[in-house]
Amino acid sequence: MNEIVLTDVRSRATSGVMKRIAPFFLAATVAACGGCVQVQAPDKPIEINLNVNIKQEVVLSLKKDAADLITSNPELFPK
Amino acid sequence: MTVQRNRIITALSAAVLMIGIAGAAYAQASGSLVSAALAEGSVGEQADGYLGLRGQASGALRAEVDAINIKRRAAYTSLAAQRGVTVKDVAATVGCETLASRVAAGRAYQLPDGVWRVKSGPITLPAYCAS
Repeated sequence: MNEIVLTDVRSRATSGVMKRIAPFFLAATVAACGGCVQVQAPDKPIEINLNVNIKQEVVLSLKKDAADLITSNPELFPK
Repeated sequence: MTVQRNRIITALSAAVLMIGIAGAAYAQASGSLVSAALAEGSVGEQADGYLGLRGQASGALRAEVDAINIKRRAAYTSLAAQRGVTVKDVAATVGCETLASRVAAGRAYQLPDGVWRVKSGPITLPAYCAS
Protein backbone atom coordinates (compact mmCIF):
# COMPACT_ATOMS: atom_id res chain seq x y z
CA MET A 1 0.00 0.00 0.00
CA ASN A 2 2.68 2.43 1.02
CA GLU A 3 4.69 1.84 -2.11
CA ILE A 4 1.80 2.64 -4.35
CA VAL A 5 1.26 5.95 -2.59
CA LEU A 6 4.92 6.91 -2.85
CA THR A 7 5.09 6.09 -6.54
CA ASP A 8 2.02 8.22 -7.13
CA VAL A 9 3.53 11.21 -5.37
CA ARG A 10 6.82 10.90 -7.19
CA SER A 11 5.26 10.55 -10.59
CA ARG A 12 2.94 13.48 -10.03
CA ALA A 13 5.79 15.72 -8.92
CA THR A 14 8.27 14.92 -11.67
CA SER A 15 6.57 13.22 -14.54
CA GLY A 16 6.75 16.27 -16.81
CA VAL A 17 10.35 17.02 -16.05
CA MET A 18 11.34 13.37 -16.21
CA LYS A 19 9.91 12.98 -19.68
CA ARG A 20 11.97 15.89 -20.95
CA ILE A 21 15.18 14.88 -19.12
CA ALA A 22 15.02 11.13 -19.72
CA PRO A 23 16.68 11.19 -23.19
CA PHE A 24 19.59 13.17 -21.78
CA PHE A 25 20.05 10.66 -18.97
CA LEU A 26 20.01 7.88 -21.50
CA ALA A 27 22.58 9.66 -23.69
CA ALA A 28 24.79 10.46 -20.72
CA THR A 29 24.68 6.87 -19.48
CA VAL A 30 25.55 5.53 -22.91
CA ALA A 31 28.37 8.06 -23.28
CA ALA A 32 29.70 7.30 -19.80
CA CYS A 33 29.72 3.57 -20.43
CA GLY A 34 31.46 4.03 -23.77
CA GLY A 35 34.03 6.29 -22.09
CA CYS A 36 34.70 3.85 -19.26
CA VAL A 37 35.46 1.00 -21.59
CA GLN A 38 37.88 3.05 -23.66
CA VAL A 39 39.65 4.83 -20.80
CA GLN A 40 40.60 1.74 -18.81
CA ALA A 41 43.51 0.65 -21.01
CA PRO A 42 45.57 3.91 -21.07
CA ASP A 43 44.81 4.70 -17.41
CA LYS A 44 48.20 3.72 -16.00
CA PRO A 45 50.61 5.39 -18.48
CA ILE A 46 48.80 8.70 -17.97
CA GLU A 47 49.39 8.53 -14.22
CA ILE A 48 53.10 7.86 -14.68
CA ASN A 49 53.46 10.86 -16.99
CA LEU A 50 51.87 13.14 -14.39
CA ASN A 51 54.22 11.86 -11.70
CA VAL A 52 57.25 12.50 -13.86
CA ASN A 53 56.12 16.04 -14.62
CA ILE A 54 55.63 16.89 -10.96
CA LYS A 55 58.88 15.30 -9.97
CA GLN A 56 61.02 17.10 -12.51
CA GLU A 57 60.17 20.49 -11.01
CA VAL A 58 60.70 19.30 -7.45
CA VAL A 59 63.95 17.58 -8.35
CA LEU A 60 65.25 20.76 -9.95
CA SER A 61 64.43 22.78 -6.83
CA LEU A 62 66.08 20.22 -4.53
CA LYS A 63 69.17 19.57 -6.60
CA LYS A 64 71.52 21.82 -4.65
CA ASP A 65 70.18 20.64 -1.28
CA ALA A 66 70.71 17.04 -2.34
CA ALA A 67 74.30 17.69 -3.43
CA ASP A 68 74.99 19.44 -0.11
CA LEU A 69 73.43 16.56 1.81
CA ILE A 70 75.77 14.11 0.07
CA THR A 71 78.93 16.14 0.63
CA SER A 72 78.14 16.92 4.26
CA ASN A 73 77.38 13.26 5.12
CA PRO A 74 80.22 11.36 3.44
CA GLU A 75 79.82 8.40 5.83
CA LEU A 76 76.33 7.80 4.40
CA PHE A 77 77.63 7.81 0.83
CA PRO A 78 80.66 5.50 0.76
CA LYS A 79 82.50 5.44 -2.52
CA MET B 1 72.03 -12.53 50.37
CA THR B 2 72.22 -15.06 47.55
CA VAL B 3 69.11 -13.58 45.95
CA GLN B 4 70.69 -10.14 46.01
CA ARG B 5 73.96 -11.46 44.61
CA ASN B 6 72.07 -13.24 41.85
CA ARG B 7 70.31 -10.03 40.97
CA ILE B 8 73.58 -8.14 40.81
CA ILE B 9 75.11 -10.82 38.57
CA THR B 10 72.04 -10.72 36.30
CA ALA B 11 72.20 -6.93 36.05
CA LEU B 12 75.94 -6.98 35.30
CA SER B 13 75.62 -9.62 32.59
CA ALA B 14 72.74 -7.68 31.05
CA ALA B 15 74.92 -4.56 30.97
CA VAL B 16 77.80 -6.49 29.36
CA LEU B 17 75.40 -7.88 26.77
CA MET B 18 74.06 -4.39 25.98
CA ILE B 19 77.59 -3.06 25.52
CA GLY B 20 78.35 -6.01 23.24
CA ILE B 21 75.27 -5.34 21.10
CA ALA B 22 76.06 -1.63 20.91
CA GLY B 23 79.64 -2.45 19.89
CA ALA B 24 78.44 -4.78 17.15
CA ALA B 25 76.00 -2.16 15.91
CA TYR B 26 78.78 0.43 15.87
CA ALA B 27 81.06 -1.91 13.91
CA GLN B 28 78.29 -2.48 11.35
CA ALA B 29 77.62 1.24 11.08
CA SER B 30 81.24 1.94 10.20
CA GLY B 31 80.54 0.48 6.76
CA SER B 32 83.75 -1.38 5.98
CA LEU B 33 81.90 -4.27 4.34
CA VAL B 34 79.87 -1.87 2.20
CA SER B 35 82.96 -0.23 0.71
CA ALA B 36 84.33 -3.62 -0.33
CA ALA B 37 80.93 -4.69 -1.69
CA LEU B 38 80.61 -1.47 -3.69
CA ALA B 39 84.03 -2.13 -5.26
CA GLU B 40 83.09 -5.67 -6.28
CA GLY B 41 79.59 -4.67 -7.44
CA SER B 42 77.47 -6.65 -4.97
CA VAL B 43 76.14 -3.39 -3.51
CA GLY B 44 75.22 -0.34 -5.55
CA GLU B 45 73.40 2.96 -5.61
CA GLN B 46 69.74 2.91 -6.59
CA ALA B 47 67.74 5.60 -8.36
CA ASP B 48 65.47 5.74 -5.31
CA GLY B 49 68.29 7.31 -3.28
CA TYR B 50 69.24 4.26 -1.24
CA LEU B 51 71.90 1.57 -1.38
CA GLY B 52 70.78 -1.80 -2.67
CA LEU B 53 72.02 -5.36 -2.56
CA ARG B 54 72.64 -7.00 -5.90
CA GLY B 55 71.95 -10.69 -5.47
CA GLN B 56 72.62 -12.70 -2.33
CA ALA B 57 74.40 -11.06 0.58
CA SER B 58 75.66 -12.08 4.01
CA GLY B 59 73.70 -10.99 7.06
CA ALA B 60 76.53 -8.68 8.16
CA LEU B 61 76.62 -6.87 4.80
CA ARG B 62 72.84 -6.61 4.76
CA ALA B 63 72.96 -5.09 8.25
CA GLU B 64 75.51 -2.47 7.16
CA VAL B 65 73.46 -1.53 4.10
CA ASP B 66 70.32 -1.28 6.24
CA ALA B 67 72.13 0.89 8.79
CA ILE B 68 73.30 3.32 6.10
CA ASN B 69 69.86 3.41 4.49
CA ILE B 70 68.18 4.15 7.83
CA LYS B 71 70.54 7.09 8.37
CA ARG B 72 69.97 8.27 4.81
CA ARG B 73 66.25 8.15 5.37
CA ALA B 74 66.62 10.23 8.52
CA ALA B 75 68.64 12.83 6.61
CA TYR B 76 66.12 12.85 3.74
CA THR B 77 63.25 13.21 6.19
CA SER B 78 64.68 16.30 7.87
CA LEU B 79 65.51 17.94 4.53
CA ALA B 80 62.02 17.13 3.23
CA ALA B 81 60.48 18.75 6.30
CA GLN B 82 62.62 21.88 5.81
CA ARG B 83 61.64 22.21 2.14
CA GLY B 84 58.01 21.11 2.43
CA VAL B 85 58.33 18.19 0.02
CA THR B 86 57.96 14.44 0.43
CA VAL B 87 60.77 12.18 1.63
CA LYS B 88 60.44 10.33 -1.69
CA ASP B 89 61.12 13.55 -3.62
CA VAL B 90 64.30 14.20 -1.65
CA ALA B 91 65.39 10.57 -1.97
CA ALA B 92 64.80 10.57 -5.74
CA THR B 93 66.78 13.80 -6.12
CA VAL B 94 69.68 12.33 -4.15
CA GLY B 95 69.38 9.25 -6.37
CA CYS B 96 69.79 11.47 -9.44
CA GLU B 97 72.90 13.03 -7.88
CA THR B 98 74.52 9.76 -6.84
CA LEU B 99 73.88 8.17 -10.23
CA ALA B 100 75.16 11.26 -12.02
CA SER B 101 78.35 11.83 -10.06
CA ARG B 102 79.11 9.21 -7.40
CA VAL B 103 79.00 5.90 -9.25
CA ALA B 104 82.45 5.04 -10.58
CA ALA B 105 83.04 3.01 -13.74
CA GLY B 106 82.72 -0.72 -13.14
CA ARG B 107 80.34 -0.25 -10.20
CA ALA B 108 76.76 -1.45 -10.02
CA TYR B 109 73.71 0.81 -10.07
CA GLN B 110 69.97 0.33 -10.39
CA LEU B 111 67.54 2.47 -12.40
CA PRO B 112 63.79 2.69 -11.62
CA ASP B 113 63.20 -0.31 -13.92
CA GLY B 114 64.76 -2.45 -11.16
CA VAL B 115 67.54 -3.81 -13.39
CA TRP B 116 71.09 -3.79 -12.05
CA ARG B 117 73.69 -2.55 -14.50
CA VAL B 118 77.42 -2.02 -14.29
CA LYS B 119 78.60 1.42 -15.24
CA SER B 120 80.49 1.64 -18.51
CA GLY B 121 80.18 5.16 -19.83
CA PRO B 122 77.70 7.80 -18.69
CA ILE B 123 74.52 6.57 -16.96
CA THR B 124 71.26 7.37 -18.74
CA LEU B 125 69.40 9.08 -15.89
CA PRO B 126 65.64 8.78 -15.34
CA ALA B 127 63.55 11.42 -17.14
CA TYR B 128 62.64 13.22 -13.89
CA CYS B 129 66.29 13.91 -13.12
CA ALA B 130 66.72 17.54 -14.12
CA SER B 131 69.92 18.01 -16.08
